[in-house]
This record gives sequence, C-alpha cells and structure tokens, in this order.
Amino acid sequence: MNLLSFLLKKPEDVQAYTPGPAFESAGHSLRQEIDRVFGHSIAIREVDCGSDNAAEIELANLSAPHYDVERFGITFVASPRHADILAVTGVVTHGMKEALLKTYEATPEPKFVIAVGDDACTGGMYAGTYATLGPVDAVLPVDLKIPGNPPTPVAIMEGMLGLMKSTKKR
Amino acid sequence: MTGIHAHYSALSLPAEWLIGEDGTTITYAVPDDRIAAIAETLLALESRLVWIFCTEEREENSYTLWYVFELAEMRKYLVLVLSTSHPVSLVEIYPAASRFERAISDGFGLQFSGSPDTRRLFLHEAYPCGFHPMKKSVKNVPIVPSQHTDPYEFRSMEGTSVYQVPVGPVHAGIIEPGHFRFSVIGEDILNLEIRLGYLHRGIEKLAEGCSPEKGVRIAESVSGDESVANACCYAMAVEQILSLSIPVRAVYLRGLLLELERSWSLLSDLAGMVTDVAFSTAASRFTILREMLQRACERLTGSRFLKGIIVIGGVSHDIPDDVLMEVKDTVMRVRVELEKIQSWAISVPSVIDRFSTTGVVREPLIDPLALSGPIARASGRALDVRCDHPYGLYDTYPVSPLIRMTGDVMGRFALKGDEVLSSLSYVNELVTQIPKGPVQTEYEVRDGYALAAVESPRGRTLCFVRIADGSIDRFALSTASFCNWMALEHAVLGNIVPDFPVINKSMNLSYAGTDL
Repeated sequence: MNLLSFLLKKPEDVQAYTPGPAFESAGHSLRQEIDRVFGHSIAIREVDCGSDNAAEIELANLSAPHYDVERFGITFVASPRHADILAVTGVVTHGMKEALLKTYEATPEPKFVIAVGDDACTGGMYAGTYATLGPVDAVLPVDLKIPGNPPTPVAIMEGMLGLMKSTKKR
Repeated sequence: MTGIHAHYSALSLPAEWLIGEDGTTITYAVPDDRIAAIAETLLALESRLVWIFCTEEREENSYTLWYVFELAEMRKYLVLVLSTSHPVSLVEIYPAASRFERAISDGFGLQFSGSPDTRRLFLHEAYPCGFHPMKKSVKNVPIVPSQHTDPYEFRSMEGTSVYQVPVGPVHAGIIEPGHFRFSVIGEDILNLEIRLGYLHRGIEKLAEGCSPEKGVRIAESVSGDESVANACCYAMAVEQILSLSIPVRAVYLRGLLLELERSWSLLSDLAGMVTDVAFSTAASRFTILREMLQRACERLTGSRFLKGIIVIGGVSHDIPDDVLMEVKDTVMRVRVELEKIQSWAISVPSVIDRFSTTGVVREPLIDPLALSGPIARASGRALDVRCDHPYGLYDTYPVSPLIRMTGDVMGRFALKGDEVLSSLSYVNELVTQIPKGPVQTEYEVRDGYALAAVESPRGRTLCFVRIADGSIDRFALSTASFCNWMALEHAVLGNIVPDFPVINKSMNLSYAGTDL
C-alpha cells in the first residue's frame, strides 16, 4: 500500500528558476552559432590542471537546473574522444602536464581548447614558480581565454559565444 | 599551575621545557631523543597526533619539527617542538604520522628513521632526485623536469584472480585529478591506494617572502569550496601573532560567512551522493538550493565563492543591514525546502538500498588516522573544532556537534543534511543580533609565530604562520582532507567497485586542499 501511494502521489510542482537575462541571451545566440559552426551541438571535456576547484564548480553549474545549458546544445562528456572542446582550468602543474597532453591527443580534430579562469589564462600568482609550467598556452595551443577567479556562468557563456562567432563553419 | 600540568598531571613535561602558551596552543621544546617516549605516554592518554610540520631555521641545515597533539577535554593544542636533522618516525605509535613525514621528506629532505614508507608524496616524477623545494636554499624558480626519476611504486597485491583497476588522474566527471589504484577480486575491492599530488602548486613556498596581507589571498586559493575557512584560519594565526582582536561586528560577519560556506559546500555533497545513485531529481533540487546560497554569497561579498572578503584585522568591507536581511530570507527559504527534500530523498527505497551499510568508516580508525569533520561525526565521534577549540563567534554562540552512529554513506548523508540545517538556523539567528560598529582594525606587523584552527566544511583545518622581518617566513596549512583521504582507503574495503563513486562523494574530499 505504501509503495502504491508512493507511486500514485502527484508530483510536487517545482518553481522554475531562471539564470538571468544576460545568460539567456548569450545562450540563445550561442545556440545559433553552434548550429552554424558545429551542427547542432558541442561536447566539452573538462580537465583540471591545477585549479582550486572553484572553476570546476562553476563549469558543473552550467548543467544544473538554473542554467541548464543542454537546451543550447552544450553537453559535458566523460571521454575526450567524444569532445569538441577541452575546457582546461588552473595553472598547469608538473604533475598534470602528461595527463593534459594525453587528453589533448585523445580529442579528435577539429577541436578547441579554452582556458577557464585567471590561473589558466595567465598563470596568476603561480607564474614562474617551481611547481608549474605556466598558463595553459605554455603547453597547448589555446583558442579562447576566459578570465575570472573563477569566471561566472555568464562569463563562460559569453566567452564561448565570442569563440563561436569568430569561427568559420566546420 | 601553568602549561599542560593544569590539565594532565600524569604527563611529565618539565616546566623548563615550556616555551610558550597562547589562546590556541601550549608549546614545549623537547629533546630529540625523548619524542618517541613522550608520544607513547600521550597515546596512553588517548591523544591524537593531528599534524607534523617542519620549519627551517636561519642556521644552515637546522630544522625544527612541530608535533601538534589534540588531547581529550583540552581546549588548547599541545605542540612539541624538536630541533633535529635525524628525526625518528612516529608511524608505529601514530599511523597518521606517515603522510606528514613523507610530506616533510619531500619538502625538506629529512629522512625519518624507522619509517616503513619512504616513497615521495606530493613530488611527482618530473621533480629531480634530491630536489626539496621547501629548503630556503632552493629558489622558487621554474625547474627542468627530470626524465630519470624512478616511477612511483604502488603497493602490490598478488594472488589468484586479483586484478588492478587504475583510475585517473583525469576522471569521468567534472572533478579534480587524483589516481586511484584498485586491487579487485571479482567486483570486491581488496585494496585501494590513492595517489595524489597532481595539483601540487607549491603554495607553501609561494607564500614565503610575501607580505602577511597577501597571505590571505594565498590561503584562499588553497581550495575553492572552503576558501573562507582557509582564509579565516590563516588570518586568525596572524592576528594571534599580532595580539590583535578584531571588532565584534567582524567576528559576527566571519561567523556568518563560515556557516554559509559550510551550507553551500555540504549541499554539493548531498547533490553528488544522490547523483551517484542515479537519483537526479533529488540532485537537481539540492543543486537549486546550493545555487540560491551561492547567489546570496555573491550578494554579500561580490564573489560566489566568498573570495576577497576576509582580511587581517576583520573583513574587507561592511555588509549593509538590508542585504543581511535579504540573505536571511533566502536562508530561511532554503532551510524549509531542504527539510522537505532531505526527508524525501532518505525515504526512497533505492536510495536506502544503495546508501545503507555502504562504505563504513569504523570508529576505531578515527584516532589513529586523525580523522575529523563529518566523517568522524558520522561514525559516532563528536569531534568539531568549533566545540572542542572554540574560536571567533563560537566562543559567544556555541554550536553543539551533531553525530550519527552508523559510519556508512547513509550516516554521512543524513549528518551532512542535518549540519546544513543547523548551519542555516545558526545564520538565521545570528543575523538579527549583529551589532553595529567598525569591521576592521588597524594593525602593525610584528614578528612571531602562531597556530590557528578552524572547522571547515570538511573538518579540522590547521594553519601555522611565522613572520620574520615583516614578511612570511613559513606558511603551513593542513586541511581536513589530508588525513581524511585515509578514511576513504579503508571505507571501500569489501565494497564493490561500482559503489566507489558514491562512497567517494559521501566524503567529497578536496584534492587541491591536500596537494597544496
């Protein structure tokens, strides 16, 4: 009986949450650009090379209910072999260099690399220290840099929109 | 009676060894041949070794080791200081010592005699043999990666039908890097060895020579989801050195920020746990609440991760009362929602099936491994820095630790949910009582050293700072994750590989906060 009432219970109404007008408009423009450049969708593989985990939280947030970027054709994937874009966070450490290069090699062409966060863009306060190789572009060709400590979801979307707009159809 | 004797008359530490006592610690200088014997006595008194760190002195090749002990019912930490370049290992007395000693060997090149595990910890193969970055003689400049360092050796597990499952450093989700080496029979985990260090950014070395103000930003960058806890712990250590008391309003605001951070950070854990048992509806609901809190954080400080607000001497700017009231409203809405979602999630049969009896951390492991935070509390031990070593606002408004007895994923899930609820109530109550006044004190930097402790969302955070000639001479930070990773290695034993993600998420330890 308990199980039955559980199954028959009317689902509760959940309030709709919106990310804000700036995010929405960036998302809709991005949707069109993704259609133009990649044909319907892009898949992103995230690689943490020395981040403090704040940028990871924001990237993961993009798939959360408030933002829900899948409606704009953006998905995060588990394997680099399924990815169009590598989103690299953090200053590149000696420990992560090899893993980053292998992930890059495993990603099929055409591919983009975006550096997410101040440390990934410039090395930040870690630039020139013993434990790091510097920003992502010291190790890989980088197509887009999104600064911020960490960048907000809106900043990440606007950054990607800029990248797509400047790209020819593949 | 001063020093330790006021608390433990059984412990014979001569009064002339006492070198200092402040609000957080009682410090004794101990001859290097006596440490093992004293450690044995301390063990008999049911103490826990919670940290060992090293400092280099001005005379060349002169090192000091600092052993930090926590004794039951004692508000201050007992710190034993030892000058030696040939230390003995305490692993046989306190197993938690192993990884601290390996970190010191990496950093300073000291070898601990009698240590069963002398492998490197945070230095990977790219670092040449004989490279010890924490030595003062080593400059903080880029190195030439080594091609010849011997590869790291994992513990080998042998036997019929034992096979290895290597995972990482790049994982399937959007998470931090680390390597997990499973030895498995069928689906049962026989052994797990965790190798970290991928995120080693040289933070402790980076802080050396910086101004004490800059140190706050460095401490904040250790781990994004506990940035206030780490920044606060560092700032408290410096304030201890300067004998600085911060304005009452700043004490309240720091308390507010610490509890907000605990709430949103633990909400991620709740969402992660239900995601890993494929219950995405509940995960979405938890994530919505976390986003509401992160937006409240942004409203308060301009940063969704509460970065930049903690400064030495208080907080960087005042928060207007109307913003505080707005945040109070959000907090209450989140609390009401969370109560509903939490009890719903925990009543779903498939969740109970996956959570119960999975990944048990047994209570007897807590002391030897120096576990802390929700992991210790979910296994029946009321360990909480806020209660055991009260600081800041918790001195005025105490919190009582919540515990669960089962030690499994279900225990941690229920406990973390309750902790968020209690943090949100705490925020709600204190907002209305924040007194008016300044939020920052002027100060002048002076030399000295101090240790501070804070309860971060993951447990005990300790920070040691030594200022010499007006700038940071040594910055050392130990987050809860450093010791708590050991709990994961034990909790998975006998479980099946497919349950690993949910066990891992139920602890949700910080890789960045371990590797520094």
